[in-house]
Amino acid sequence: MVIYMGPMGLYQSNNSILEKLNPITKLLYIITVIALSIIIPAPQMNLACLLASVTLLIIGRVFWRLIPFIGINITVLISIIVIQGLFMAGNKTLWFQIGSLRFYQEGLCYALNLCLRVFNILCAFAILLLTTKPSDLIESLVEKGLSPKLGYLLCAVLLIIPQLVAAMERVMDSQRSRGLETEGNMAVRIKAYLPLIVPVVLSSLINIKEQSMALEVRGFSSDLKKIFLNQQFSPFYEILIQIGLLTTITLALLRRLFLWLS
Amino acid sequence: MNTARIVIQDLRFAYHESEEVIKGINLSFNRSATALIGENGSGKTTFVKLLKGLLRPISGSIYINGYNTATTTVAKLAKYIGLVFQNPNDQLFKQTLIDEVMFGPLNIGQPILQAKASAEKALEMVGLSNSKLIHPYDLGLSDRKLVCIAAVLAMDTDIIILDEPTIAQDYLGKEKIKQIIKELRDQGKLVIAITHDMDFGAETFERIIVFHDGHVLLDDDTKTVFKEHDLLKEFHLELPHITQLGRKFNFPEPLLTVDAFVDHIKNRNHQKPSYPL
Repeated sequence: MVIYMGPMGLYQSNNSILEKLNPITKLLYIITVIALSIIIPAPQMNLACLLASVTLLIIGRVFWRLIPFIGINITVLISIIVIQGLFMAGNKTLWFQIGSLRFYQEGLCYALNLCLRVFNILCAFAILLLTTKPSDLIESLVEKGLSPKLGYLLCAVLLIIPQLVAAMERVMDSQRSRGLETEGNMAVRIKAYLPLIVPVVLSSLINIKEQSMALEVRGFSSDLKKIFLNQQFSPFYEILIQIGLLTTITLALLRRLFLWLS
Repeated sequence: MNTARIVIQDLRFAYHESEEVIKGINLSFNRSATALIGENGSGKTTFVKLLKGLLRPISGSIYINGYNTATTTVAKLAKYIGLVFQNPNDQLFKQTLIDEVMFGPLNIGQPILQAKASAEKALEMVGLSNSKLIHPYDLGLSDRKLVCIAAVLAMDTDIIILDEPTIAQDYLGKEKIKQIIKELRDQGKLVIAITHDMDFGAETFERIIVFHDGHVLLDDDTKTVFKEHDLLKEFHLELPHITQLGRKFNFPEPLLTVDAFVDHIKNRNHQKPSYPL
């Protein structure tokens, strides 16, 4: 079974440089981007981070796969721009007018900066999600001290969608075989809902019970120190990147502190 | 025009373009209870899903009682052909056995009283008529499989396909299924079953079709198929145990059941009292 092919399967292997990076480094990158946009809220900062992320996405050959996600966000962002531009509390300077709708400069600037920040965070997360196998991410987090139980929980969340899709297909076959119509008008579809959903839910509950027993018999909750199948060795340049990212956050903090004190 | 119940002409199917799973099958089925055997991955389950209309052929055609599966909906075909899946958990959803078994008959348009009567009859056939108000998930796996068989029997279809019916069944369960298949055949229905259990196959079915790599390797009556010991061995299929024993004794004909084996020995002893056994 191909596990990461479902609708939630963001990761596709393409052997890029980003894919070979340790997931922790990519996680650190996200933290840096978010920290910078909070510490230095100027639009120039957001723009710089966004450019950096987009460059990385292009290097990782995954930029085009981000486009559907931008599409999902764009409707929300447009509504933010319209509402803030029209109605924000501090609106004073009229920028332009369409019919009787007055758009104000303050609201639009605020909304555009907000959009920039959303894109910024979206792109930073995309670097991690589009180029990292979920189980690798979780394994390296567990290696860094995340509780294995929490790690398993995260893994299960990522795996359950494709598993449910597969289960849904099997159940659909079974019930159509018993004469259940699944295509047609709304009434037909509503009638088909219970026969389809109940077996999916019940059989996943049964699976969970069996999975947890299978984990227990292999010593999942043992207190002994565990070793890892895929040991992560961070090469020198990767440690440099990590130090660089941490230094950036520290410098930004110092600058902010300095401005605040002076 | 071929008037058999199922007519299959040059059937081909692939899940992915590059990989054909069914590679040109021509068959027809009429009445004989038929077992489909073959290694895992030889295309048996795909084949029965095609018969049932759940998958559409990429070329060739399948006619079920004259209806082309490519142009008839699965729900409509359900009146003529029933399929019992391997895993009962994929279909059970009602609160009681009787409701569960009535679901199919109601779907294909039986009036409620008739549906109830056929559900009761079907539960009787699988030996679960005393538990008809029990929740299906309170039963063990083997009984849940019997519920699924009942659910299809109640639909009173002309053709019944069973995908590995004997898995998880103990001796009594197997005997029950064997009995059901024989009853259905006596009622003039066509029963097709996928099985890996050769003993069960030899004792229950009149015709055997051997699948290999999307092709039909052998298609004949049970005795003739089990004569092909060397060919079956080449494709990793065993003979029924009693037939293997018969071969060790160099009996000329393959014997399919314990009774046939005993009769054969008695006859031989009768002719040659000094037979060393």
